[in-house]
Amino acid sequence: MKKISLKINGKEYNVEIEKDMRLLDLLRDQLHLTGTKEGCGEGECGACTVIMDGVTVNSCMVLAFQADGSEIITIEGLDKGDKLHPIQKAFLDEGAVQCGFCIPGMVLSAKALLDKKPSPSRKEIREGISGNLCRCTGYNKIVDAIDKASQYLKEEGEEK
Amino acid sequence: MEIKEVFKPKAIEEAIKLLDHYQEASKIIAGGTDLIISIREGKEPAPVIIDVSSIGEIKEINEIDEWIEIGAGTTFTNITEAAILQGRYQGLIDAAASVGSPQIRNAATIGGNICNASPAADFIPPLLALDSLLIIQSTDQIREVKLEDFLRDKGKVALSSNEILTKVKFKKLNKGQGLGFNKLGLRKALAISRICTAVYLEVSEDSKCNEMRIANGSLGRYGLREKAVEDYFKGRALTDDTIRIGGGLLKDEVNSRLQGRSSAEFKREAVDGVFTVALTKAIENCSHRKGDLI
Repeated sequence: MKKISLKINGKEYNVEIEKDMRLLDLLRDQLHLTGTKEGCGEGECGACTVIMDGVTVNSCMVLAFQADGSEIITIEGLDKGDKLHPIQKAFLDEGAVQCGFCIPGMVLSAKALLDKKPSPSRKEIREGISGNLCRCTGYNKIVDAIDKASQYLKEEGEEK
Repeated sequence: MEIKEVFKPKAIEEAIKLLDHYQEASKIIAGGTDLIISIREGKEPAPVIIDVSSIGEIKEINEIDEWIEIGAGTTFTNITEAAILQGRYQGLIDAAASVGSPQIRNAATIGGNICNASPAADFIPPLLALDSLLIIQSTDQIREVKLEDFLRDKGKVALSSNEILTKVKFKKLNKGQGLGFNKLGLRKALAISRICTAVYLEVSEDSKCNEMRIANGSLGRYGLREKAVEDYFKGRALTDDTIRIGGGLLKDEVNSRLQGRSSAEFKREAVDGVFTVALTKAIENCSHRKGDLI
């Protein structure tokens, strides 16, 4: 066992972990943040995507001890109480969700993209989610949703 | 997987001390995009893991005298965003951008790409074409070795168990010099190279090739230079004819190297096209600055 401390969705955690545990296992099995999914377990599908210190990573390819001292955002950290995050709202409004398994990772990749580039082109959106596989939608609705999320975020910024 | 000890040093000296103490029992982890999979598959026993991803000094990209030095802990995302590499070194940025996916580029490091020495490592050919040197540290010495001599075989490099790769360096490119890269994968993202080619070119003011270094990935057991083709181009003008003949020589080389493999027939044809695009990009990158003759 090893003690680590990290910030997840703005909250400080001091946890004891197994040395061979992946960040994905820590999130799901120990902290019960099950929004993060395990798909392929080898970095191909992006279902386990989380934001670590500002950039997306596959949490199946990070050992939990490596996250000591870092700041993680998972899908559970996006909404504000009853209010969905604008990206989540855009996904619903555009009908971009079918089975939903890829969506937590997809939304976090979209967030990382929009944080860096508030008005991406459709090509940039496709590149931004190129590490997230979806077997239901054919991606078009997801690209539409991220395009719409970019507008929502701008409108939200103007209101503030 | 059985991991007995894990460490996350903040300074390179600390990492080297740990390596020296644990020797073969230890494995260095940075991005983890290769190592975690092989540990979980039971292919790579790693009782002691040393995470070097928090060591700031191996993540820097610097210009020092006539050299560019890139820390081994630099991620592919860091490379694609490095202002200093835009223009003549576009081949390095293109190679970094072609690796895996955004998530993998955010984690995976150039040091891992070099030390794992996959035949399909995308970043090795451009570094070979730049005639790169590696800086390797252990408790008692800092040594420099040519990347070309460091690669020994598929997955094998000349690195002792108490050593760590800290930096890669190559000569700064000047007027008339440029690097091009092209990759053939089976899809756009997350593609493992079927062929990747990097071309370093130095052209004279009358558009002749002063020097060319060509390096290929996925066409042998590790990244390789194509010296017979390089020799052909030396001193020749770069015209449609010479590029066609040079591409033909490369086809012959690849054909004889891959004989007996099922991919030989496909790769010997494809390599010509991949090379021609890489060379065209190298020519463009030689003349990226306004006002330059070439």
